[in-house]
Amino acid sequence: MNEGERPPSADALASVRGIFFQECEEQLAALEASLAALQEGDADSETLNAAFRAVHSIKGGASALELERLSAFAHQFETALAAGRAGMLELDGSVLRVLMRSADKLSDLVRAAREGEDLDEQVISSAEADLTALAGPQDDSDDDSMFSGFVPRAAEFAQFDEGAAETRDWVVRFRPYADLYAKANEPLLILRDLAELGTLEVTLNDGALPALDALDCEEGYLSWNIRLRGACSQQAIREVFEFVEGDCDLEIALEEALPVNNEAANTETDTPRTNGDASPPPSAPERKAALATPTSPVAQTIRVDLERLDDLANLVGELVINHALLSQRIASHGPSSASVALALEDLDHLTRDLQDSVMAVRAQPLKFLFQRMARVVRDVESATGKQARLIIDGEDTEVDRTLIEGLADPLTHMIRNAIDHGLETFAERLALGKPPHGSVKISARHRAGRVIIQVADDGAGVNRARVRQTAIARGFIAADDQLSDEEIDHLIFLPSFSTAQAVSGVSGRGVGMDVVKCGVQALGGRITVQSVAGLGTTFTLSLPLTLAVLDGMVVSSQQQTFVAPLTTVLETIPLKSGDIQRVGANLDVLTLRGAHVPAIDLLDALALRTEPARAPSRFALVVEDDSGRRAALLVDDIQGQRQVVIKSLEANYRNVVGVAAATILGEGRVALILDVNSILGFGRRDERKSPRLLAVG
Amino acid sequence: MTKVLTVDDSATMRDLLFLALRDAGFDVVQAVDGVDALDVVQGEHPDVIVTDINMPRLDGFGLIEKVRADPELRAIPILVLTTESDPARRDQARRAGATGWIVKPFDPAKLVSAIRRVVA
Repeated sequence: MNEGERPPSADALASVRGIFFQECEEQLAALEASLAALQEGDADSETLNAAFRAVHSIKGGASALELERLSAFAHQFETALAAGRAGMLELDGSVLRVLMRSADKLSDLVRAAREGEDLDEQVISSAEADLTALAGPQDDSDDDSMFSGFVPRAAEFAQFDEGAAETRDWVVRFRPYADLYAKANEPLLILRDLAELGTLEVTLNDGALPALDALDCEEGYLSWNIRLRGACSQQAIREVFEFVEGDCDLEIALEEALPVNNEAANTETDTPRTNGDASPPPSAPERKAALATPTSPVAQTIRVDLERLDDLANLVGELVINHALLSQRIASHGPSSASVALALEDLDHLTRDLQDSVMAVRAQPLKFLFQRMARVVRDVESATGKQARLIIDGEDTEVDRTLIEGLADPLTHMIRNAIDHGLETFAERLALGKPPHGSVKISARHRAGRVIIQVADDGAGVNRARVRQTAIARGFIAADDQLSDEEIDHLIFLPSFSTAQAVSGVSGRGVGMDVVKCGVQALGGRITVQSVAGLGTTFTLSLPLTLAVLDGMVVSSQQQTFVAPLTTVLETIPLKSGDIQRVGANLDVLTLRGAHVPAIDLLDALALRTEPARAPSRFALVVEDDSGRRAALLVDDIQGQRQVVIKSLEANYRNVVGVAAATILGEGRVALILDVNSILGFGRRDERKSPRLLAVG
Repeated sequence: MTKVLTVDDSATMRDLLFLALRDAGFDVVQAVDGVDALDVVQGEHPDVIVTDINMPRLDGFGLIEKVRADPELRAIPILVLTTESDPARRDQARRAGATGWIVKPFDPAKLVSAIRRVVA
């Protein structure tokens, strides 16, 4: 074989050989140990089993690697051991001696195969003969598998071929029994394989299908009449049904040619009427109709490359933006005619419908993800010794595929936390009069264009005293800060916040809820928590159904453009001098209809200011975060509302605090989409510190 | 990608199966015996299981029985690796609920076509 013909996996094969010989050493050692034990009088059947398996393993690997002498000897050895295992052979002294000598020969053969040497054939053959004698008379019949001879594979299907070069019409009648389905065989796949042999015409017989209330979903009611036109043999057809013969009625026969004359009412077939076929054979005109439209109700699916779907979704997103830009440009040219406005509106509807359709293609139910959580619950139960029931609700809720992948980790963490921290111990719950098994409920539903997922436990609720203490100790709040219950609860989302007393194996390393929050935000979602002391805690995740597109308010400061999600924007206010006042050492506020709202300079908050401000900010963007906190973001300019396509920052760059994602505006400018929750969080935390909040870098 | 769970107590066989399946574009997860396989099935949700029969702790038949008895798992197609001269074993596997079989020593092309025959 010259260089060019070297098979691609030759190196891999060489490494498998290495593994094989290594494994042989282990198996030979196991074999020796078992035989030694048997010689000591060990009568445990498992010992003999272990010997059998060791030889069986060596034989399997040897024949796969085409080490023929080794494989043939191992086969004889295995047969003898099988006889012993089946009780057909008494393992007395002389028999055991033969077995032990054979084990030696086997070891020699392994070494020879490894080194590429040859052994004395006579010695091996004689040992083989001893083994054969042990196994008893070998029968080539099929009645007992243990004793069948090792016949080299000969089957050539060409022998059974009936002039396969000729195209003929076959009639196949196929009626699966319940067993066929029970063994996870699938008629659709069988028909698909059959279609590779030629052209198919499939007719479904559903005459046996009962009414819905009498339907046993495990039973087989359907059968198919198939006409196959192809240049294949009957053997080839039969082979397609290889796995299911015995679990179905199957008839394969040649059909005599159709009469050319359309008036023929019946067509003769070779096969007698079968019991599964209640309907008379279709007449020629009917059959011609069947040729055009197969009546099989099997649903059509195709496989699609996920990347293509993502590309499609991207393009649709860009289309949405483009449409928005178009509308804007037309509007900026002056009032447009009614027909233009109407056309634009139609385009808007169409684009949104298209978007929904594409997202539906990528949508999947949360079912499997939720069910995987059952395993998480079990793991945490054993790690913590607590007992929990998992309740699932709304698992058929469908979300975009990428959301599902991104939710796995946050969900897992939340469930771990719920059981580890939220739930009381068995004893505690009994003492409190609660049902001894705690429950964790995960639920999902659609609401107002978003997916709402909740993880709720019926445990002790957030330990507010401890959370407050930890926050003070970590410097997140001051000892005399006044915080509402809800604000205390949301402190758990702060980085590295953990109040776990003992570091349990499950959580308590302090990477809990803030990691969850980041994970949820990376999906474009929000997370909030509600807790009632003694009753439990509920985390609510709100995720967008359409990942890609966001309605936003575009603002800018010093040539840098940002987008605030419209859902966070309360109002925009042009600023006059005196509107912003300094209160205390470092806090600026905006007076808004009598109330004070913290004023945060956006560029400063994101540490993006490259040169000092030449003039005071001209606008304030009043925003509200998930917990209802408000602030005024100070910017130089407000450019108006726009729909933008969300581009993940992590995928293209990395996670940046204060920024949820990015987008490319129609003009080609990159704009950062603001993470209002974290910006307001920073503002709050640093009320006592300098206005310069954090370095993004 | 179709995910295949291969179950065999022989490291050699596992490697050979892995190579053949990987070259054919399948995603492969492995288990060393029936007990291990049941664990892996829960975590990985394979599209099809390819299993040897002779294994310690829980053999191929035991694995098939357990999978078919579990309402969440029973629709997973299971192919057993059988030696050619063992039609009785093959029947036993089918009675236990195997979807199909692959003859050992296996021809990689036949392995792949057997899998394609039982998985969409």
